[in-house]
Amino acid sequence: MNNSRDREPKANQRSYRRMLASSVAFGLTASLACTTVQAQSVDLSKWSPEYVKSIAGTEEVDTAADCAKITPLDYKGKVSVWWTGPNDASPDIDRKVHEDFWAAWKATYPNIETDYQNIDYNQLLDKLRTATLGNAAPMVVRLQILGGIEFASKGYFHELKPEDVGYATADFWPGAMKSVMYDGVPYGIPTNNETMAMIWNADIFQKAGLDPESPPKTWDDVVKYSKQIKEKVGVAGYGLVAKQNAGNTPFRFMPQLWAFGGGALDEAADKPEYKSVWLNNDGAKAALQASYDMYVRDKSVPVSALTNTQNENQAPFIAGQLAMMIAHPSEYAKMVDLASKATGADKEVADKVVSNMRYGLIPEGPDRRAVVFGGSNIHVFKDEYVDGGLDEQAAKALVCFWTSAEWSTKLAWVTSNPGNLRGFKTKWMKERLDTIKFLDVTTSMLPNGIPFPVIPEATEIMNIIVPDMLQNALTEKMTVEEAADDAAAKVEELLSGL
Amino acid sequence: MTIATERAAIAPKAAEQPWGIGLLRRIIDHRSDYLYILPALLVMLVVIAYPVYYTIELSFFKTPPNLQMKDKIFVGFDNYAAILSSSSFHRVTINTLIWTVFSTGFAFLLGLAAALALHREFAGRGVLRAVLLIPYVVSAVAASYVWKWLYHSDFGVIGALAVQFGLTDRPINFLDNTTTVLPSLIVVNVWKEFSFAMVMLMAGLQTVPEQLLRAAQVDGASAWQRFWHVTFPHLRGVSMVTVLLLMVANFNSFIIPWIMTSGGPAGASDIWITDIYNIAFGRQRYGVASAYAVILFIVMMVLGYFYVKALTRGDEARAG
Repeated sequence: MNNSRDREPKANQRSYRRMLASSVAFGLTASLACTTVQAQSVDLSKWSPEYVKSIAGTEEVDTAADCAKITPLDYKGKVSVWWTGPNDASPDIDRKVHEDFWAAWKATYPNIETDYQNIDYNQLLDKLRTATLGNAAPMVVRLQILGGIEFASKGYFHELKPEDVGYATADFWPGAMKSVMYDGVPYGIPTNNETMAMIWNADIFQKAGLDPESPPKTWDDVVKYSKQIKEKVGVAGYGLVAKQNAGNTPFRFMPQLWAFGGGALDEAADKPEYKSVWLNNDGAKAALQASYDMYVRDKSVPVSALTNTQNENQAPFIAGQLAMMIAHPSEYAKMVDLASKATGADKEVADKVVSNMRYGLIPEGPDRRAVVFGGSNIHVFKDEYVDGGLDEQAAKALVCFWTSAEWSTKLAWVTSNPGNLRGFKTKWMKERLDTIKFLDVTTSMLPNGIPFPVIPEATEIMNIIVPDMLQNALTEKMTVEEAADDAAAKVEELLSGL
Repeated sequence: MTIATERAAIAPKAAEQPWGIGLLRRIIDHRSDYLYILPALLVMLVVIAYPVYYTIELSFFKTPPNLQMKDKIFVGFDNYAAILSSSSFHRVTINTLIWTVFSTGFAFLLGLAAALALHREFAGRGVLRAVLLIPYVVSAVAASYVWKWLYHSDFGVIGALAVQFGLTDRPINFLDNTTTVLPSLIVVNVWKEFSFAMVMLMAGLQTVPEQLLRAAQVDGASAWQRFWHVTFPHLRGVSMVTVLLLMVANFNSFIIPWIMTSGGPAGASDIWITDIYNIAFGRQRYGVASAYAVILFIVMMVLGYFYVKALTRGDEARAG
């Protein structure tokens, strides 16, 4: 046994320990300072169109150098990834950016064999569910903000946080980080985040006797404007969408529901607990009544709303047959694209629509102005569920590349905004702001964003129960009250585990 | 020795032996025959028998959205009880019956009319036959999208023509109306399927003896009487098979209703298959969906039994 004297450190040991302690303390301080600096590098409290413009182009980034710290650039391996990329309805520029991304990835990591599949938005979840059941999932998947929760809750995902690929959690929106946490464990990294805005055709507004430069301020105004447009101009006022099992429907209806004080659960509350159901409170019923008034009473929205997604609203809008809709910043690029492809008399109409296109904030309701905090997150599957096993280094390299300030900005070129907040400081963000009309408006909606409930049942609630509620009311299969109560009962049942 | 006499010699021996030994003996005697069909049997076991077994097994479990499949909870017949007692199942069953009966009936009648018309010789018959086959060879997915736009409630061609010809004031609401959606989908399905019935019945018409028809004509039988008393009895077998095949196909229809309406609006065009798909992949209740699929499987087996009976009726008659 040692006596106390034996346990006393020798002088040189003391100095070594002191040096070690000092190093650790210095390291911690530096790391904290660094995190603080990163947290402060984009000040969310100052968020405004002017602030976004003021920081754009102030930081240089080197993606290859950043990712080389995680996975050496000469690493030899393989990676498979599924995501929803551009489709036929996407603007050409969106397709080109994705082609550039894969070319850059190949140039940066030439020895990583990559199998990438672009899968339709409405099919990705189903395909992934089936694949995971057969342990045939890809290594990496990028899912819409709502999609990852069920896989995380089932334990399919690898634990993954920004620090694992060389970034700081503080470099991502707090709301977005909330969407990748399940039971306190992070399982993904946000790639892009966006909010939508209200788009309108100023020419139709003028013909209907409305101020062409002012969007409806409240949801009651939307109902009123829509009716006035239908009556005076004969075209559909508001582009309501209510198709079942399509993500478009909750993304457009939930802002209305939240604005009136409703919700699926209490996701709009300051501290949501996801235990109480708000689908049949007075606010939710008022929101549903507004949709009913537009569809059934006034017939001022497309009759095809029940089978429409937002894609089906694009053609009537560019043809001057639809006055208002809620859409992404990319809608402007899409309309420019459609106009460029039109010919003859159609081109004349389309060009006129593009020149009369306006973006504004999504209307307020009695309770708040709200918008879905949308976007996508990237996840890595655990080894046992991956077809052929997980190559962790290759997967991390791809995640690092994808969520970098550079590529999270470029990949979101027309459709979204960078998930990595440092992207807002890059020269590419400046270029976007200079070239994409109305980007500042949609970006300024971000602080009004409300994420969908972070529970595994959220997909069913948002994609099935909420659209069902709308369809039951709009087809008059049920009254507004009954439809809301029926939906609330279904959510209660779902949460109770039945 | 002929096969028949060989079988006759084996049969009494097999009858005297216990059933298992007799079966084994027969398998050994016919081992080369069994070896020939073994690869096909193995493939069928993998791609048919195992999925059927797994679906039946899964139908006794609950699969909550936060649990992996390996953690599923045994619930006995609860899933079956839940389905059979749910009001939506009754609504969807009625939709399925309407969809199946009307699709099958109209496709058969239209196919029969087309087959009878094309059975006569006339100029351009080959071209017309090819044209009428187009719906059958067109991809169901492509056809569904085309019809979706033709029917579009705001900008559809059919609605626009109806307005232009003064038939209606505004475009007809085909797909966004709970009353019209199912008949509209049935029209598309009949358009897609009638050529199949036409081909089958045209083949059947080749078997009607020409001399019988001529004899009936000489006896003064009208066209209807010739059809009803001579042609149709000869078509009975092929008609039965055609109707059964159409029924099976329609019970299992997915593409047209799913692409055009996804079962909407408000479930008005939901049929068994779309409902099962929604429960499994939309709501992730694989156990309930499996129980539902087992019920559908039983219905299919019953139809399959009648199909085989219809197919082998001629053989049995000849054997008798």
